[in-house]
Amino acid sequence: MTLDFFSRALLEVTLAGALAGLVGVLVVLRERAFFTMSLTHATFPGAVAAAMLGVSIPLGAAVAAVALVAIAVGIGRIRSQGPAVASGIMLTAGFALGALLQSLSPLAIDVESFLIGQVLAVTGADIALTAVLLAVAIVVWAIAGPHLVFSSADEGGYRRAGMRPWIPEAVALALIAATVVAIMPVVGAILGVALIVAPAAAARLVVRDWRAMLVVAPLIAIASGVLGLVASRWLELAAGGAIALVAAAFYGLAWLWAEAARRPRGTIETRTPWRTTP
Amino acid sequence: MSEPVVEIADASFGYGGAPVLSGVSFEVRAGEAVALIGPNGAGKSTLLAGLLGLAQHEARVFRVPAARGEIGTLPQSSEIDPAFPVTLEQVVAMGRTPRLGLKWPGRADRRIVAEAIEAVGLTEHRGTRFGDLSGGQRQRALLARALAGEPRLLLLDEPFNGLDHGSRDALLETVRRLKAQGVALLITTHDLDLARAVCDRTLLVNGRQIAFDETGCVLTLERVEAAFASHVMEIDGHTLATTEHHAAAHGAHHHHVLQDDGAAGAEHR
Repeated sequence: MTLDFFSRALLEVTLAGALAGLVGVLVVLRERAFFTMSLTHATFPGAVAAAMLGVSIPLGAAVAAVALVAIAVGIGRIRSQGPAVASGIMLTAGFALGALLQSLSPLAIDVESFLIGQVLAVTGADIALTAVLLAVAIVVWAIAGPHLVFSSADEGGYRRAGMRPWIPEAVALALIAATVVAIMPVVGAILGVALIVAPAAAARLVVRDWRAMLVVAPLIAIASGVLGLVASRWLELAAGGAIALVAAAFYGLAWLWAEAARRPRGTIETRTPWRTTP
Repeated sequence: MSEPVVEIADASFGYGGAPVLSGVSFEVRAGEAVALIGPNGAGKSTLLAGLLGLAQHEARVFRVPAARGEIGTLPQSSEIDPAFPVTLEQVVAMGRTPRLGLKWPGRADRRIVAEAIEAVGLTEHRGTRFGDLSGGQRQRALLARALAGEPRLLLLDEPFNGLDHGSRDALLETVRRLKAQGVALLITTHDLDLARAVCDRTLLVNGRQIAFDETGCVLTLERVEAAFASHVMEIDGHTLATTEHHAAAHGAHHHHVLQDDGAAGAEHR
């Protein structure tokens, strides 16, 4: 079966949205948004190097992601240098290295496609990688969901219960890194964080139960992908940017919804009847 | 007599450097509650961490339940972010995780979770978001989480702190029921009356073991003073200002003061 380029793009944004939503819940519950942001930038030099060497771009991005996660873990262990410092250094160093490599490259590299994606040019291999990772993410949540949530909510309690928090942490970081790499063709290295974090953060604002987040976040991410893609076609915009903006708009709507729901209804008199009774 | 669940002899506990607590020998039997009493910094938390394998220990005898889920813990206060999207029932179900590993919870697990919630009197709140519960209710929920693991040994860290009278009585009743079910309990507390109410034996520490015996024998003026040097505390409804504290406050030496609260208040003014 062959699909035209737009159908392929539609399939890819749907799969990538589901994946980003599921993994985004992990990012939001474990408060790893800044880490994810840094990781998206850190994969950039790997992609540039892979393009220069003529090897698979996701492979180059994945290698860079693994190397930079290792460096981040090393910096994070230095006393007085927290994980935020490590992520900050990783973010800027990764991006700078990518720019440097690009300037050194004798070939013309289409950097923009790495940075903001080029979903209309996705290949069957890109789609297959996203589909496989989506299956992995579903299996991980199904099997290890209680461990991921317990260790996210109460790391100390998880440790006191005789379990090792580094295991769910390593699983979470690996899944986040793999997702960043897999959705690069859709939204690129820089905009990837929008599709991962915004839908899950929006879901967290409107539902009160992590299991509901696992349904709502992928739906918002898929809707962001599809709406962004369709809008980009009609309005002749860059698809990656349109998708990221729709995801951000969903977050804004969720925030308004949550604020409205929190605001008490009725007048002060109806809310405090004892005030009006003589 | 029932078998010991915890058996410790000539143990010291710490985090690498000099031991925080040394010379510790005690046991906790099935169906028995042992009070762990000592001033702040005495090493109580280090001892609890040591039993959990989270602090280092050196010991002649060191026997604690080793299988996953056999030790339940109740921290001093909840460490769960109130905004975290979990319901009370989901928090309590976390207590099954060590026993389940990667298995899915079955009907029996759900029944155990429901019973644990019922045991702390929160059944009507089981669908409530954890962060929306009051502080006391959160503590009870965490106790239910510990119970859901069906522990052989339960470590309660200052469980009576900040509880109102009703919650305190309910907790005492829960402790009695757990003892009847054969659970061994080790309870840190500053409240000697509560130790007397439910704890069969008491381990008194302050950097080293001061005493370990039946609660009535341990909580004597001399021993409590030895543990709580330079502290003021209540004993038998009276305020005890121990030697060092009294010396510091009044320049007197080696002089026990045991008086009622009102008089103590007047004296400290």
